[in-house]
Amino acid sequence: MRLRSPEVGLGEHDSPGEASSRRAVLGTAALAGLVAGLPFFRGLFRLGDALGSPSKAQDAKILQLVLQLEYTQVALYEQALDQAGLDGELRAFAEAALAHEREHVAAIRKALGANAGSKPTFDFGSRIKSAEAFRQAAIDLEDTAVAGYNGQATNLTKATLGAAATIVSVEARHAAWVRAIAGEVAAPDAVDTPMTAEQVARSLRELGMRTQ
Amino acid sequence: MNGFPHFDQFLTAVDRDAALAETSSRAEAALSRRGLLGITLGAVGAIVFGKTSVAEAGAGLPASDVDILNYALVLEYLQASFYTEAERSGALSGATAQAVKVVGATERAHVKAFRELLGSRAVARPTFDFQGVTEQQRPFLRTAVAFEDLAVEAYKGQAPKVRSNAVLAAAVGIHSVEARHAAWMRELFGITPAVNAFDRPASRAKINRIVASTHFIVSRPRMKARNKPHFTG
Amino acid sequence: MRHGTRLAAAITAATFVGLLLAGLGVSHREKSIATATGFAALPPAPAPVLKVGRPKMLSGERYVSRWTVVRRPTAAHAAPSASSVVVARLGVSAPEGTPNLLAVLRARTGAGGALWVMVRLPVLPNGTVGWVSRRSLGSYQVVKTHLVVDRRRLQATLYQNGKSVFTAPVGVGTAVAPTPAGDFTIRSKLTRYASPFYGPVAFGTTARSAVLTDWPDGGFIGLHGTNQPGLIPGRISHGCIRMRNEDIVRLSRLMPVGTPLAIR
Repeated sequence: MRLRSPEVGLGEHDSPGEASSRRAVLGTAALAGLVAGLPFFRGLFRLGDALGSPSKAQDAKILQLVLQLEYTQVALYEQALDQAGLDGELRAFAEAALAHEREHVAAIRKALGANAGSKPTFDFGSRIKSAEAFRQAAIDLEDTAVAGYNGQATNLTKATLGAAATIVSVEARHAAWVRAIAGEVAAPDAVDTPMTAEQVARSLRELGMRTQ
Repeated sequence: MNGFPHFDQFLTAVDRDAALAETSSRAEAALSRRGLLGITLGAVGAIVFGKTSVAEAGAGLPASDVDILNYALVLEYLQASFYTEAERSGALSGATAQAVKVVGATERAHVKAFRELLGSRAVARPTFDFQGVTEQQRPFLRTAVAFEDLAVEAYKGQAPKVRSNAVLAAAVGIHSVEARHAAWMRELFGITPAVNAFDRPASRAKINRIVASTHFIVSRPRMKARNKPHFTG
Repeated sequence: MRHGTRLAAAITAATFVGLLLAGLGVSHREKSIATATGFAALPPAPAPVLKVGRPKMLSGERYVSRWTVVRRPTAAHAAPSASSVVVARLGVSAPEGTPNLLAVLRARTGAGGALWVMVRLPVLPNGTVGWVSRRSLGSYQVVKTHLVVDRRRLQATLYQNGKSVFTAPVGVGTAVAPTPAGDFTIRSKLTRYASPFYGPVAFGTTARSAVLTDWPDGGFIGLHGTNQPGLIPGRISHGCIRMRNEDIVRLSRLMPVGTPLAIR
């Protein structure tokens, strides 16, 4: 399995009601102490921590991040179609993916309204100078999109989660598509590892996004 | 390959519902209105804490999440059995044969993970009769496309209903993998891997209807009897 | 269709925006990309509740045997074509009252795209194979066991994934009513029939006596217990493979119906 260091969550973000009834069942402090050391249960003891609970404000923050991600995808595909000498299947992929990412940008901008973040500038360097370099960048960027959306799934309100879910699978299709074009294994992992927001931002910067 | 058809042309290339219904209709054990297998999931037992294994961690899940996990497990059983039987049939060749090895191994790993988590509450593996679809490459790919698209829609439909964040984290990590599979099978079949900018969810009722229409889930053949033997002795 | 698809795509996009708007409300914060502080406030995903292990390729495939049952009465042909000669007619039940089990050997697409399956036929001469329409067959089942009966050494051995997991002495047919050699299948399991001659468990097979052709139910060879354990090992039966009762009970816990049977 390819490694991308997962930020194994400390937060088990169960709803307060569920979590407190679990605490009641737990019993003795000794038992709680025993269980507390286990990663899976560690988050149960941060019940008072409201930071990070889903909210409309948090949804907006997350959508600002994914908007930057979608902007980056649009820019990569636009510039590669212009400069990377793409043809055949790879060109057809870039054209189709660009159309999808533009729709994503439009939808997220519409949802954020006047608060939608502005488009960053980009310096993709050698990534858009050749078909193979572009192909690798596309894989990285689409994988980042999948990991980024997946990483925020538990931070979103249910309505926004439903909306995000309609996008993340399309990014995953893109990733498999562009791998398959080169005869690579299109789905090398049994499960997709999430990225934190910080990891996504870092990945975007590494790929060529420059914030204003 | 000379490019991919425009997205609305793909609909004539593969009509998803028709592809799954194409397999011969048959009389078979009725599927209850309750769902894919007519399973009634009884109330989950009392939450017990103090255990440490992953499998026992499943004991702390809300009953509705257990129900969703079992529903996903049935779809994973379907896919795992489908790919495994196709690989064993010897009917596949080339890139398709290679892809099926990887995807089959992945779906089997999914099944194993769900079963380990759910323990005694896991639904049993159904019996599948794929009616030859695993034994011819084109019908196989057409159905694989349909199954993977279906799995993506199913996970997407359930994700907002999941109550436990640990279950949700698991579900989204698998949902995107199924989407990669869907794109892969489409690419092998020769249609566009990603048709629309937004993939739609599907309700359980819709998924159940589609799976039932394939008649792939059948009764297990009963090979035991109490008849008096009339062998030569 | 074209209009409907575009409409569907537009509806999906609109639904997406609608869901977002429902989730968002109006926020005056965070106009640009969030600062490092902002990201730190977004919790990392919790550990997923499912532990998905390393995907494993199929292994031990050379020990895989497949079987199916006859789903509707059908003809078995000499070649994968409805116009080739009929070798046998198959009903849905074996004489012992269980579904008519057939070993699946391979499949072939015939002219016109129909799928044909080569199966072992429970007919004389032993070892006959034929082609059956896939539509007449049921689900494919897989076993990784195989049973070998050695008539010379009077021994039965069960293999699982190629490894011997059971062995026991057997009685086989006499010279005038021999147990036939060949490749067959265990096709049924009979219990609770209250006949001490056959012991507590009797397995039906697809092997037939070549001499007792007028026998009721066709003269099929069975694998069963006995009320004369002292005769085992020996050449004592009318063709059946007999085992001491404790051995056949032990075997019945290890050997699924559908296991291939090689009689040497």
